Amino acid sequence: MILASLAGDVLVWVVWVVAAIALLASGFAVVLFRNPFHSALALILNLGSLAVLYLLLSAEFVAAAQVLVYAGAVMVMFLFVIAYLGGRADAPWASSQAAVRVAAVVTCVVLLAEVVLVIALDARDGLSSAAEITEGFGSPRELGRLFLGDNLLAFEVSSLVLLIGAVGGVILGATVRRGEVEE
Amino acid sequence: MDGTALNQPWWIDLLKAAVVINVFLGVVAYATLIERKLLGRMQLRYGPNRAGPFGLLQPIADLVKMVRKEAFAPAAAADLLYIVSPLVAAFTALTSFALIPWGPVWSIGGYDVTGWVADVPIGLILLFALGSLGIYGFIVGGWASGSKYSLLGTMRTCAQMVSYEVSLALSVLGVVLMAGSLSLVDIAVRQQETVWFAGPQFIGFLVFFVAGVAETNRAPFDLPEAESELVAGYLTEYSGMRWGLFQLAEYANVVMLSGLTVTLFFGGWGGPGLPGPIWFAIKLACVLFVMIWIRATLPRLRYDQLMRFGWKVLLPVATLNALVTAILVVAV
Repeated sequence: MILASLAGDVLVWVVWVVAAIALLASGFAVVLFRNPFHSALALILNLGSLAVLYLLLSAEFVAAAQVLVYAGAVMVMFLFVIAYLGGRADAPWASSQAAVRVAAVVTCVVLLAEVVLVIALDARDGLSSAAEITEGFGSPRELGRLFLGDNLLAFEVSSLVLLIGAVGGVILGATVRRGEVEE
Repeated sequence: MDGTALNQPWWIDLLKAAVVINVFLGVVAYATLIERKLLGRMQLRYGPNRAGPFGLLQPIADLVKMVRKEAFAPAAAADLLYIVSPLVAAFTALTSFALIPWGPVWSIGGYDVTGWVADVPIGLILLFALGSLGIYGFIVGGWASGSKYSLLGTMRTCAQMVSYEVSLALSVLGVVLMAGSLSLVDIAVRQQETVWFAGPQFIGFLVFFVAGVAETNRAPFDLPEAESELVAGYLTEYSGMRWGLFQLAEYANVVMLSGLTVTLFFGGWGGPGLPGPIWFAIKLACVLFVMIWIRATLPRLRYDQLMRFGWKVLLPVATLNALVTAILVVAV
């Protein structure tokens, strides 16, 4: 029994290391590839590795939803647009303005600081609430209860943000089409 | 079946997985023969009848032919992605069948043997997730071929998948609400206790089946590989066993979709008299027959018809079905 649980621990550790390395490598690949299609594929790998990490955190539903929605549906649209533009699509860094680059670097530094802070707190036992995995943790039922019960306002606000994005996309698309000459 | 203690050691699982993947591969191979035979009969021809009695050895002859053929690639496509794509498509298609239950729990010699390889609490979502990864095989393969026909096939695949995936996912929401679970085993068991969901969820079933036929790129939704316009779409530059793997993935998806239809709407392995796997096989064969029948009967849609039908007919109907079911489930 002890041997089996040890083997399980080693397996979890190996999966974690592989997923973490894949996550970092694919993240760098997204911004370093010259070809936007390759960047998009690296992003799929990135989202997939993230799903594996969710799985290790016992969040099965979130992991599957991550693959289905982000790695699946959303990225298909990315690939569609990149394939549609053909050679006219730019590499991720190519056309960005200086302000965008500065903002990206600042965001990354902030996130890095946050990660370092959390690790430091954890090392000194400064995090008060220990993780507690209950029976139905990560199940769709529990997740639904959180979304539509405890965090209803945040859930509805985020749905509003998505709706605004969708409406904005339609409006932008419609104006472009009106400007076009009928062939 | 949430964690109820099953006395099933790991080697039984391994054995079952080996049996299931091989039977599944056999079914997929012979689905091609059945399709060609039936299409032949429906068009007043014989279909393949030269290899073995009644042409029964045709799939094996095809396999030998494909393996021995040279797998050449266009100069513009000599790329890792070009080689990996068929593998991705075939792998995800074959993996997904592990989630389909085909029998009850038997106790043999003190051990419990389940009629499924894996029962996950979120089986249905996992199945869709695998499917959504599998289409990358087709999309990337077409793009990496470096050919205009392939690229057009890729574009059509993207647009069609995105359009019909939403309806497909929404159409099963009614079933999930009625079963109260995302586990395929639970859904099948629930139907055996009550009624086949094809009855109360008839509209959901229709939407699911139509969207499913579209998702598997079969006629009348086979625009990504429309031979009269695009040569063979994303398949154009593939040959030999790489082409064979794409075909394998397509037929595996068809068989998987039939299995999913049986599980979600026709009570899975349930039925009187005969053992579970036999009932499952009978139902699977019926759904497969209908899919071949549709291919032989209906002409291909035009591209704008395809898009309009997906977004303006199928999606609203699927949404309405999910909404009405939700209200009824809560009210009753």
